[in-house]
Amino acid sequence: MESLLEIRDLSVSFDTSQGELKALRNVNLSLYPGEVLALVGESGCGKSVLCKTIMKLLPENARIKNGRILAAGKDITDYREKEMERLRGRLFSMVFQNPMTVLNPAVSVGEQIGEAVRVRYPKMKREEVLKRVLELMDLTGIPEAEKRCKMYPCHFSGGMRQRSVMAIALACDPGILLADEPTTALDVTVQAQILDLLLMIQKKLKTATLLVSHDLSVVARVADRIAVMYAGKIIETGTSEDIFYDPRHPYTRGLLRSLPFFAEKGEELYTIPGMPPSLTRLPRGDAFACRNEYALAIDYEKEPPMFRISDTHYAATWLLDPRAPSMENISLAWPDMLSGNRPEGGGENSV
Amino acid sequence: MCEVLLDVQHLTHYFKINSKIKIRAVDDLSFQIRRGEIFGLVGESGCGKSTAAYCLMNIYRPFSGKILYRGIDICDPKAYRRNKKMLQTSRQMIFQDSASSLNGRMKVAEIIAEPMEIHHIRPPRGSLRREAEFQLHYVGMEASYLDRYPSQLSGGMRQRVAIARALTMEPALLIADEPVASLDVSIQAQILNLFKHLQSEHGFSILFIAHDLSVVKYLCDRVGVMYRGRLVETAPSGELFENPLHPYTKALLSAIPCPDPRRERHRVWQEYDPALFEWPGEMVEISPDHLVRKGEEKIEN
Amino acid sequence: MKIKIFNREICVCALLATNSICAKSSAEMGKTVRGRIWLYYGRKIFNFLVSMLFLSVAVFFVARLAPGDPLRSYYGDRVEKMSPEERERAEERLGLKEPVLTQYIRWLEHALQGDFGISYKYKRNVSEVIGARLGNTLMLGGISLALILILAPGLGIWCAWHEDKWQDRLVCRAGTVLSCIPEFWLSLVLVFIFAVSLRWLPGSGACSPGREDDISDRIQHLILPLAVAVTNHLWYYAYMIRNRILEEARAEYVLLARSKGLSKRTVFFRHCLRNVLPVYLGLMAISVPHILGGTYIVEMVFSYPGIGTLAYESVQYQDYNMLMLLSMFSGILVMTCSAISRTINAWIDPGMKNTENVLDGR
Repeated sequence: MESLLEIRDLSVSFDTSQGELKALRNVNLSLYPGEVLALVGESGCGKSVLCKTIMKLLPENARIKNGRILAAGKDITDYREKEMERLRGRLFSMVFQNPMTVLNPAVSVGEQIGEAVRVRYPKMKREEVLKRVLELMDLTGIPEAEKRCKMYPCHFSGGMRQRSVMAIALACDPGILLADEPTTALDVTVQAQILDLLLMIQKKLKTATLLVSHDLSVVARVADRIAVMYAGKIIETGTSEDIFYDPRHPYTRGLLRSLPFFAEKGEELYTIPGMPPSLTRLPRGDAFACRNEYALAIDYEKEPPMFRISDTHYAATWLLDPRAPSMENISLAWPDMLSGNRPEGGGENSV
Repeated sequence: MCEVLLDVQHLTHYFKINSKIKIRAVDDLSFQIRRGEIFGLVGESGCGKSTAAYCLMNIYRPFSGKILYRGIDICDPKAYRRNKKMLQTSRQMIFQDSASSLNGRMKVAEIIAEPMEIHHIRPPRGSLRREAEFQLHYVGMEASYLDRYPSQLSGGMRQRVAIARALTMEPALLIADEPVASLDVSIQAQILNLFKHLQSEHGFSILFIAHDLSVVKYLCDRVGVMYRGRLVETAPSGELFENPLHPYTKALLSAIPCPDPRRERHRVWQEYDPALFEWPGEMVEISPDHLVRKGEEKIEN
Repeated sequence: MKIKIFNREICVCALLATNSICAKSSAEMGKTVRGRIWLYYGRKIFNFLVSMLFLSVAVFFVARLAPGDPLRSYYGDRVEKMSPEERERAEERLGLKEPVLTQYIRWLEHALQGDFGISYKYKRNVSEVIGARLGNTLMLGGISLALILILAPGLGIWCAWHEDKWQDRLVCRAGTVLSCIPEFWLSLVLVFIFAVSLRWLPGSGACSPGREDDISDRIQHLILPLAVAVTNHLWYYAYMIRNRILEEARAEYVLLARSKGLSKRTVFFRHCLRNVLPVYLGLMAISVPHILGGTYIVEMVFSYPGIGTLAYESVQYQDYNMLMLLSMFSGILVMTCSAISRTINAWIDPGMKNTENVLDGR
């Protein structure tokens, strides 16, 4: 299948007072039409930077060091501001983390959505724009659209604001939707609604979605494929099933095990020891080595390449090298929490 | 174990927006926290959890109701003044946003030692700095962080500093207002472990406020569910997760995402319909310690 | 000048005090919409009157406490040759012998009837003297205010658009230096260059003698004072606008607006400016007294016959009646401006409109 968005060997650095901050290191990623790709990792691992790099919304001290970004077959890496303006909103649009701050407080919600409509149809008549705005608000599940489109963001609750942001993002029927932690700032119940909305829209409009999150359990419902990021690198990619039922990278396992969902009462929660490294002073070798319980000597020397596990599943850890100690031993440390929970016959639905 | 530390009776607090509009932030809230217990307060944002916590900390003055802490009515100015020192030292609070709740111009050592300085308490380990070092060590951080500023620390570290600051006073009641809501999952696990660990060692009570039920399930002994300023259900946490009675509790429970893609994709989330949740009735005890706000409809048990 | 600043503080204190009094008395009233509006304006006017009363009391008594001899302004140097009896008679005639409280009450009585007494220095009715000079000050103050009002946003926007490029840096440096130069010194330098050395422009007064109705002559006289008044305040406001715009440009909604596909220019002018300019209007309203206060000093340096020179003289010569009326005048100005600014701010804040929706907003 032809990929809609392809990122090849992309590295992005920020020039800071402490030196070069390597936000992204040799990232490879493809997004296919109509799929939801989830990008998971701790804060500061470069998830948002990746989104902003694709949109070319990075601050001025950032630069693309190497790599290519291909969108819909065209190389957009060296596109200038003018050319990007033509792509933003139409080819890709973005949903941000905090709906409280991304809407302009002094402009009514309807007008903000209308503005996005006009980007694509500059000559559209007033009434038609309004009609389209109401349509969009309806699509994103904002009730009483006619009344609400005249209201200001401060009159909206967090969930409603996030719906408005979605309406703005969908105004020009984008091919790619970049959702940067769309539910993190919201309550659990609202989060469920927004995820459902995302799923519904994705099914209806066939938009390819890049969903960024720090919480693996959030993406379980919507993601077709998952990419796990650590310290600016993608360390494991695979289908949802691959990642949840057969995680190979110790970091992915750690992320899964530390979810309080699995914890039994009275028992300690699993935690990944240590902290993520500072991106200005990355250690030699694998950046995860010092937090890795199963680190091999080579982890401190050389960065692991991506090892192929299956056609869909890749992971960057030396543990997968044929010379490494057998994985069987290590798998014992991974309790069978998930395999026990697996519903019967769910396998047919796997992608 | 069963001794009541904090007894909240019919606590009500309004916010006045203008002369016409009053917002009922906390309405007729009653619950008890026993000595050595972790009590979870759960609800969506804006349901009055934080307002209730501020009332308990004497930051807001409640509109009506009583808050008895060790039998002292802390809303009564006279009683409060008489026991001021005890009340101020034995109740401590941790806020959600550690970036703004810690003074960015103070070093970690100063932040941790400040409560002792204010209350003129002689540090049991010699100097204030030694004390700060001890507490910092206690929450799992190295002494090298003593001379850093909060802005140089990560979110999880700052939350640890906030906890260390609260611990210097050896509190009997710790109020934690969404302490893990803004943290990453992996860091969240570390902080939750820390809470659990500290509680079992010190034996203080914790009022743990959260909007995520899965966190509460792991940590708390008893849980109260709040909806629009009212408590709709309180129960021991195991009981609440096995046998939720109020529709809002059920909705909250069903919204917990589960890290299992096959099950998640097929699951239908419970309809979130606010009209269902407004039960005007009184709190009724269903089974020992399990109270639910009873509506006109019957509760199927 | 010191006294003027003092006045402003008193105003603020008085406003605060009266607000709390009013809040209690009117809590029960105002059931109907009409009643509420009346109550609102009634309260405002009551506030205003009480503040004015406070202000007049404070200025009256403080002025009496200050050392000096009011007779000197009335009789000039003749005071020194007066015998004690003559002195006493003169004081009695001017009403200065009675206790201060009685003096104040009498002043208040007369003032309420529109009679503010005579100026000791000019020996004419105070309002007459002020009336004759008001035009000059309004011209200088009004034009400098208008210039600042137009130039400051322009300069601020220009700098913000060219943020951190050489244009912005140059203007920032120059502006900081210019606004640090004291007004009187700048005035003297300008007078020295343009009036004394080059002889292009007149260095003092409002018009050349005998050419009172010649507009071009008046404009020539205005150029130097205006230049000083504008350069001194312009950067202060332009810089404020520049920083507010940059603050807005860092807000997250700019990212969203740009991710919609709007151009940088559209985002800047349609979103950022739109959020800043109304705030600026409110700010400008409250800064009117500040800018006018600045022209007072300029007036003095250029011996421009306006209210500023009068105010200075009235303090210097213990011209009590003049001082009282001018203080009342500034008080009214400050309060009106802050009322206007508050109205603007309430009007532009979307959160203040239809607050009812907050409740069913979720």
